[in-house]
Amino acid sequence: MGEPLKGTVTPLSSVFAPEEAQKASVRVQETISERRKQVDQLQAFLNDNNGLVNLVKKLPDQLHHDIMVPFGKAAFFPGRLIHTNEFLVLLGEGYYAERTSKQTIEILKRRGKDLESQIETLNAVIKDLKFEASFFDDTAIEAAEGIVEIREDYVDEAFNEDEPTKGEDDFARILSRIDELEKEELESEIAEEHEEEDKADLSHLISLTSLEPEGRSPEEQAKNEHLMSKISLQNHPQEDVPKPVKPKDLPARPVSKDLSSHVKVPTSSGSRLPPSLVEHNKLKERVSHTPVPKNEKVSTSASNSGNHSSRASVVAPVSKEVSDFDSSIGSDRSKAFTGSIVEHTHNIENNNQKGQMQAPASKPVSRFKMQRK
Amino acid sequence: MDRLREEKIQRFEEFVDRRLKPDLVRAIAERDKVFEQQKVFSDLRKNLENLEKNSVTSLRSMVNLGSEVYAQAEVPDTRHIFVDVGLGFHVELTWSEALSIIPAREEKLARQIEEYTRLIAQIKAQIKTVSQGIRELLQLPTE
Repeated sequence: MGEPLKGTVTPLSSVFAPEEAQKASVRVQETISERRKQVDQLQAFLNDNNGLVNLVKKLPDQLHHDIMVPFGKAAFFPGRLIHTNEFLVLLGEGYYAERTSKQTIEILKRRGKDLESQIETLNAVIKDLKFEASFFDDTAIEAAEGIVEIREDYVDEAFNEDEPTKGEDDFARILSRIDELEKEELESEIAEEHEEEDKADLSHLISLTSLEPEGRSPEEQAKNEHLMSKISLQNHPQEDVPKPVKPKDLPARPVSKDLSSHVKVPTSSGSRLPPSLVEHNKLKERVSHTPVPKNEKVSTSASNSGNHSSRASVVAPVSKEVSDFDSSIGSDRSKAFTGSIVEHTHNIENNNQKGQMQAPASKPVSRFKMQRK
Repeated sequence: MDRLREEKIQRFEEFVDRRLKPDLVRAIAERDKVFEQQKVFSDLRKNLENLEKNSVTSLRSMVNLGSEVYAQAEVPDTRHIFVDVGLGFHVELTWSEALSIIPAREEKLARQIEEYTRLIAQIKAQIKTVSQGIRELLQLPTE
């Protein structure tokens, strides 16, 4: 935002002359009233139709009905209706059909449906016209008020004003981190095979994640951790059997309830930082793939991202896991993964511990978006 | 001077277009309505005469129930007929009585029609006068 932006200023009144807009609005109003009249007419037809249906229904109740039979337009004969179940229905173009009462009712009902659909379309047309009219009205008002349209060249500023450049760096870091983690995964696959971890556990874990993050008991936490590791194991027979370990070195981390962003940022950098857990759901898959490395990654990323979003809270479980799997994974804080990695399991643990974070199973969001946030 | 003339001309034209012509249209419409009714009565008369000629006692017809759905109706005894005498009244009459009042009705209608015709003629004459005036005003400047 350094340089002055180029732009154009155009008064709305030059684009849409107010009088013309008003005239157009009036015209549209007239059209609307026309359509309304048509709708009313159709409605009247529909009412007549319904009345006729009732009449035709009742006529066969009696053998004969005494009526006044019209004779031309200005004279009547007293007479009676006979053959009360037989009706002659005009099908159009001079063709008639002789039908019973029930059949006539069916014909009339079909006609009624036709009328209704016509009314529907007309109503839709009226709605559109109304929108048009309101648009014209608004434009006329705005033009009359002298509202101006300002166009400026789009300068691709960073999403965060504070760090337009960081985004790129983060991106590169993320990429590099991902590569490393993948390598680690492969290694761990070869190393271990703890596969049996249950799908049951996994499902339980998943259900836990979808549940509200209440403060969990330590056992649960442990279990969750266990599950988390299991998840990882599931996908890749992994190295470590997660040992349910209570989080030992949980540095005090501010837990922010920034649920909106779901970004957890380690406040302190340096040592095993409170990993920053971002967007718990985002990288759910990744979690399953590489929970262990993730932890590490998250922590490192946390450290890295610590600078850029100061909103999040630290995920204790992440750090714990980090400590657990520390042996297997060399922590590379240098490979700062300014992670917008969302690890669902982390969330669970987080929830367990903090009971604050909500782990909504939201849809996965792109990393970069998370990062932005 | 010309300005005045032009204004007068314009006012005359407006008068013709806005007052006289619509009046003419309306008068013609009213007259047509009366024509129709007259036709109705004359048809009725003709039918009655037919009935009498053929000594038709009973009658079968189709009654329109609305939306062109017809039901069969039978008139067992056609001796009595209810004729519309205006203002929503129908009078029960025999054939002969009916046959006598219907011509009276027709005559009344004919008189109405004549009146409308006179009105229409009046309006037309007015239009002609005004047009003539406009033409004179227009011709004078060119002279």
